[in-house]
Amino acid sequence: MSATAFVAAASARNGGLRRFASQEALLAVAVIGLAIVVGFINPRFLAARNLSDLLLGNAYIAIAAVGMSMVIISGNIDISVGALIGVLATLSGSMAVAGIPTVLCWLTPLIFGLSVMAAQGAVVAYLRIPAIVVTLGMMSILKGGLISVTGGRWITDLPQDFHLADRNIYGVPMPVAIMVVATALAALWMRYSAAGRAIYATGGNAEAARLCGVNPQRTVVMVFALHGLFAGIAALVYATQLRVIQSTTPPGLELTVITASVVGGVSILGGVGTVVGSTLAAILIAEITSALVFINVSPYWTDAVRGALILATVIADIVRRQRRAARGWKR
Amino acid sequence: MSLAAMKPARPLPRWLARHETLLAAILIVALIALGSFNEVFLTPDNLLNQGRFMTETGLIALPMTFVIITGGIDLSVGAIVGLCAIMLGYSWKTFGFPLPLAIIFALGVGALAGFMNGLVITRLKVPPLIMTIATLALYRGLAEGVSQAHSVRGYPDWFYFLGQGSVFGVPTQLLILIVLIIAAGVALDRTTFGRTLYAIGANETAARFSALSVDRTKLIIYTLSGLASGLAAFVLVSRVTTTRMDMGMGYELDVIAAVVLGGTSIFGGSGTIWGTVIGLVMIQLLKNGLALTGVKGDATIVVIGGALILSVLIASSLQRRRE
Amino acid sequence: MKSSYLVTTIAVAFAATIWAQGANAASKWDGADDLPTNPLGCEAGATATFAPMKYDGGQPTNPPDKAGKEINLVDVPKLIGIGYFNATSKGMQDAAKELGNVKVTTDGPTEAKIDEQIKFIDNYITRGVDGVLFAANDPVAIAPVLKKALSKGIHVVGYDANSTPDAREWFVNQAEFNGIAKAMMDSMAKEIGEDGSFAIVTSTFTTPNQARWIAEMSAYAAKCHPKMKWLETVEAQEDNNLSFNQATTLINKYGDNLKGLFGMTSVATPASAEAVTKAGLCGKVAVVGLATPNAMKPYVQSDCVKSVVLWNPVDLGYAATYVMRAVVDHKLKPGDASVEAGKLGKLNVVNGSEILLGPPFIYNKENIDKFNF
Repeated sequence: MSATAFVAAASARNGGLRRFASQEALLAVAVIGLAIVVGFINPRFLAARNLSDLLLGNAYIAIAAVGMSMVIISGNIDISVGALIGVLATLSGSMAVAGIPTVLCWLTPLIFGLSVMAAQGAVVAYLRIPAIVVTLGMMSILKGGLISVTGGRWITDLPQDFHLADRNIYGVPMPVAIMVVATALAALWMRYSAAGRAIYATGGNAEAARLCGVNPQRTVVMVFALHGLFAGIAALVYATQLRVIQSTTPPGLELTVITASVVGGVSILGGVGTVVGSTLAAILIAEITSALVFINVSPYWTDAVRGALILATVIADIVRRQRRAARGWKR
Repeated sequence: MSLAAMKPARPLPRWLARHETLLAAILIVALIALGSFNEVFLTPDNLLNQGRFMTETGLIALPMTFVIITGGIDLSVGAIVGLCAIMLGYSWKTFGFPLPLAIIFALGVGALAGFMNGLVITRLKVPPLIMTIATLALYRGLAEGVSQAHSVRGYPDWFYFLGQGSVFGVPTQLLILIVLIIAAGVALDRTTFGRTLYAIGANETAARFSALSVDRTKLIIYTLSGLASGLAAFVLVSRVTTTRMDMGMGYELDVIAAVVLGGTSIFGGSGTIWGTVIGLVMIQLLKNGLALTGVKGDATIVVIGGALILSVLIASSLQRRRE
Repeated sequence: MKSSYLVTTIAVAFAATIWAQGANAASKWDGADDLPTNPLGCEAGATATFAPMKYDGGQPTNPPDKAGKEINLVDVPKLIGIGYFNATSKGMQDAAKELGNVKVTTDGPTEAKIDEQIKFIDNYITRGVDGVLFAANDPVAIAPVLKKALSKGIHVVGYDANSTPDAREWFVNQAEFNGIAKAMMDSMAKEIGEDGSFAIVTSTFTTPNQARWIAEMSAYAAKCHPKMKWLETVEAQEDNNLSFNQATTLINKYGDNLKGLFGMTSVATPASAEAVTKAGLCGKVAVVGLATPNAMKPYVQSDCVKSVVLWNPVDLGYAATYVMRAVVDHKLKPGDASVEAGKLGKLNVVNGSEILLGPPFIYNKENIDKFNF
């Protein structure tokens, strides 16, 4: 049996249509269900303006979660993405203020993000240092380096046409369009291309994948590179939304992104999950944050409630998966 | 584990090429280098002071070593520190507990928080990373909700002895840390409990089939992790004389860095307390040494990040060369 | 099977929201720091009156006498990397250049964490500096390390965010809390009217200055603008995007009921202004807050924001440096009533050991372009 066909068959059983329908559907139901419930309590929540603001303001998290999901599915993790996004945003903004053509300012974070992450991927794959160590160290380097270089100075005075996130494409706001397109392309690529399915294979069982002709090292480098690309796109959306770019690392961003991936059904054991799930989860988490304000939860308790909801979602997902396994599904 | 481990004795004694020894060598080189740049660094005064500062991280790093050896992880430790700190002040001020009882209550809350982690991880089989990311948010949120953002201050003088006092010149909390390091090292090295940890990390299914009480052991280590966080909270509150709900933020990454630097594999199955201690000391003294030499905070962070990657790189490549 | 999960999810969501409603303990807007408030009079020019107080600061033990000689200072702000503390740092460098015999290094944590700040100060104590300038993340938690500095003969002067009085020699206060509260509330009342309703965007509830300002604003509003309605306070850390999202959520939640937004930090105010601009509500929703001029220029120019309340942080850093120099030169001693601060002239001592910079400064369309920080 050819390597690709084998991998295809394996992942079709593992990540097949059935499961795609289940976890992602659960999240979609949660997103819609919560909106309806909150809408009863405060109808302003369902205003088109509010829903669109919700998506606009948090699209960058979903985009970053696409790349993060890929990394986690391949059996690794990345803690440096928050710091990287801070660096890329500052880079892009500084270039714009310096008068460099806008399109270059948009492309540079993508290329830079891709390179930095690919380098980390290479260290993980070829030097066999655990991803958590490499990315933990890289996070420190990026965080400190950013302050060292910029002196903490904010970037104001951005040229008007820098603000990509303010534009619309066929009437859809750019951040939302990018989020949808990125998720769709990534999801299709991961399911239908050999390289994409190699990610699942590497995460599920690297040795078995190698025996099937998949090159785990190259796959890991590729995954990190893609993750860097998506981080660059997320940084772009993040940087072009407001008139000020803080040249510091957005606090807690990596944890938010990882949580989105995890709630989206990506298993930390590798080999399981989809990027559609992580996008829906990112939307859900943002929705919960907004909903808590709308239904007047005391601001002292919002974090606790959100934490409880995340915990409940995660436990429900795991329990559901176990029920499946007990009934004869593979995972 | 591997065939290489069963090879006949090589000319180089095994202990010399172990990760911990290599790391200790790197540490000594770094200390000498930094010490040569300024005279105050290697003084007993400074070193003991640094010992005081690294106690909170050190206390949590001990059970974290256990947890990572079993192949798990606990990201909620920082949040548990915050929760216990708040509970200490809250129960003293609002419930009216006498202060010693409040301290025990806070420790109990920490143990309970860790127990909840362990319970869900063992009973519901939620992977530890996922569970502790969720409880990280939950426990921190609880700290904020319970405290309503109030701080509690104004403790009696004897309370500060733990965080600010010294016994025969050694900071009090450092003494406690040393005692616990020895206890943890003995537990890991010489007891069945310790052996069980390595077995779980190496191959959990095989451990189960060998009639080892895997679930009970896991429950114990996560509870210990929470308890250690509670103790760290007590030390912290005693050191800074107040409680804040944002205490302990970021501790989890510091602790994991120390443990991983010390040679404990994130995949489980290997690691020692001794390695963790070296990793802990290394990070603390590096930060301190750099600051004393005049390196500013942001550059220090860069160096620590680079040093982390480099040390693990050197130690593991030398180890692989040996194999 | 799927339907049971659906039902469970909705049931859980519903239960959670019901429980969450219960978790809404009567939220008062009082800043949550339990300290007494002291609202000013309601007339336009009312300023704080200060009863003479005995000096209540701490003193260093046997400091080396460096009167007239060069001194090395370290400045440890709450965090580095935000415009506000970049400005105070600039002021310190300006003062150092003018004085000629002062060197100031600014070094601090990259996040506003008190534990990190303590370690920074401790390292500099070990290294040996002549003086420490600080802006505290927590007034009580920072006291032990400052007292340690004093005990080693190091001079300690605070600015922007105070510690407990006995842990430092002097504290340079940018403006009295009740003065800022009055300026903020009066500006807001002028823009949205005496019965307008407003919301507050702050950093965290545990940031001491913000908590005090909110407490004083609450007391002052109760006294002088009793019909104004407080809607809600939200936290947004020191993050631009988070502040923007929170402000947008408030705008969407209250719609026409929201007439004004207060920004309590130099991050929250521009983000709130951006949220109002993006929502197309410039002129309909007022934004009043504390911010640095550069970040606010586009909004002030477009008339979205009428006035920005602050003081001059560059002057604050400048004054702090001069105070430190005066202390070392024995020109400022416990019990003195004023101190010479270079181009700022004579600054008064109030509340025992505080040095007042002056009344709050209002940046508006006419003067904002003159500043660059």
